[in-house]
Amino acid sequence: MKAFANYHPAVLLLYFLSVLLVGMFITNPVIQLTMLLGAVLFCIMCTPSGRSAGGIAFYVSMFLLVAVTNPLFSHNGVTPLFYLNGNPVTLEAFVYGAAIAVMVVGVMLWCRCYSAVMTSDKFLYLFGRAIPKLALVLSMALRFIPMFKRQLHKVSRAQKAMGLYSSKSLVDKFRSALRVFLAMISWSLENAIDTSASMKARGYGLPGRTRFSLFRFRAADGVLAAVSVLLLGLTLVGTAAGATAFDYYPRISELPLTPFAVAVYAAFGVLSFLPFIIEIREAFVWKYYISKM
Amino acid sequence: MKAKKWVSYGIFCLLIPAVVAGGALLFEEKQYAWVSLCAAVLACVPFFLHFERKTGSTQTLILVAAMVALSVVGRILFTPLPGFKPVTALVVITGMYFGGEAGFMTGALSAVISNFWFGQGPWTPFQMVSWGLIGFIAGLLASPLRRSSILLAVYGLFSGALFSLLMDTWTVLWQDGYFNLSRYWGYVLSSLPWMAVYALSNVIFLLLFTPLVGKVLERIKTKYGLQGRR
Repeated sequence: MKAFANYHPAVLLLYFLSVLLVGMFITNPVIQLTMLLGAVLFCIMCTPSGRSAGGIAFYVSMFLLVAVTNPLFSHNGVTPLFYLNGNPVTLEAFVYGAAIAVMVVGVMLWCRCYSAVMTSDKFLYLFGRAIPKLALVLSMALRFIPMFKRQLHKVSRAQKAMGLYSSKSLVDKFRSALRVFLAMISWSLENAIDTSASMKARGYGLPGRTRFSLFRFRAADGVLAAVSVLLLGLTLVGTAAGATAFDYYPRISELPLTPFAVAVYAAFGVLSFLPFIIEIREAFVWKYYISKM
Repeated sequence: MKAKKWVSYGIFCLLIPAVVAGGALLFEEKQYAWVSLCAAVLACVPFFLHFERKTGSTQTLILVAAMVALSVVGRILFTPLPGFKPVTALVVITGMYFGGEAGFMTGALSAVISNFWFGQGPWTPFQMVSWGLIGFIAGLLASPLRRSSILLAVYGLFSGALFSLLMDTWTVLWQDGYFNLSRYWGYVLSSLPWMAVYALSNVIFLLLFTPLVGKVLERIKTKYGLQGRR
């Protein structure tokens, strides 16, 4: 999962936004399934093996929940399968439910990949220039979280040494927890004020500040950005021209398979498999160099 | 400065209708999901812009950051108890003691940051708006809320219900592409227990925290000479 994550944050954001834009709003089944497959491949690369079992169960149950509940709430469609409480349960609603479930699970998986690749430092790098105060608040909050956790641990250990938490009663336990949390609040807010005084003393907010950045825009970043924009553009042009139009209601329409539609599917397919392709290519290059040694 | 501000608000007022029109033109299906997602993002923008422009003190910035971190730590601490989170209570308290704007920022940023742990998704902007509004309204109602703990409990119930209803709206819009009323009722009914847990935990945390946290905050304000806006 190194090669793809090493691209420039702006390019990565552009890539994720283009996939999500298509995936969330184009309801063609081929496009949706491609998106889901791309997300699954990406997730397999992101997650270390052996840790995904619980995740799979969650996503499968999510899929079933969405797919099965749709016919119960939506009575559109012209092919009734059976009647429930006088309401028709239609084939179209079943198929649409499955399609929506593919979309929901696909988008959730893409967001999971996004979280794995776009770490908070990249996020701050991207938005720090446009919104300096907000970025400061965000980065300070992110820095406070591990610090507060450590402090929480310290306070509760000190309280334990003083004999707190010794009672078995639930009310007492809750009251001790509350006491620790309040000590935390007091400590963290005073700490925050001290931090701000220290920042002021060191000249925060004065004009002429420079910025340190870890990320450089390389030629490869430009290539990935151009490819993403090109493929996204092709997909959107195809959609705007109606090449991939597909209706679930009132009647399931025929899947468009004109050459243009196939070209659009191919374009989006390459787009959503890009991270996978990049990783595979990287693995081959690595193997090649190893073999030359 | 004033003119610039009005121009930015004017552009903003044109943006939301533009998004609605663009959504209607571009997408035949799912247009409501797209439009509401963009509207949710745009609804946060004026608050963020104002926060960014305001020449406010570094102290307010850092205090908001600390409250955000506290609510995220609280959300992580209470992970074993689903739905039972101190986030809303802390957001309301920030709104009450540091003004509606700080409340909005704390709510919105808590949503973004805690989702680095709980998973980002298209629901993030909606959580931002929901929690942000809860904090903002708490800031507007600051003085009655501080005076009466009954009102505070009522506000806790209200904010739990508001959060749940707004998130259900998003789920329905996303899954159906339009506002399917029967599905909405289905979700509202199935999420009633959650709504009850949210509301109840808000009330419990608010009633327990407010007198004590309020005391701490007032003490800090006096100790360091801060001007929290009422």
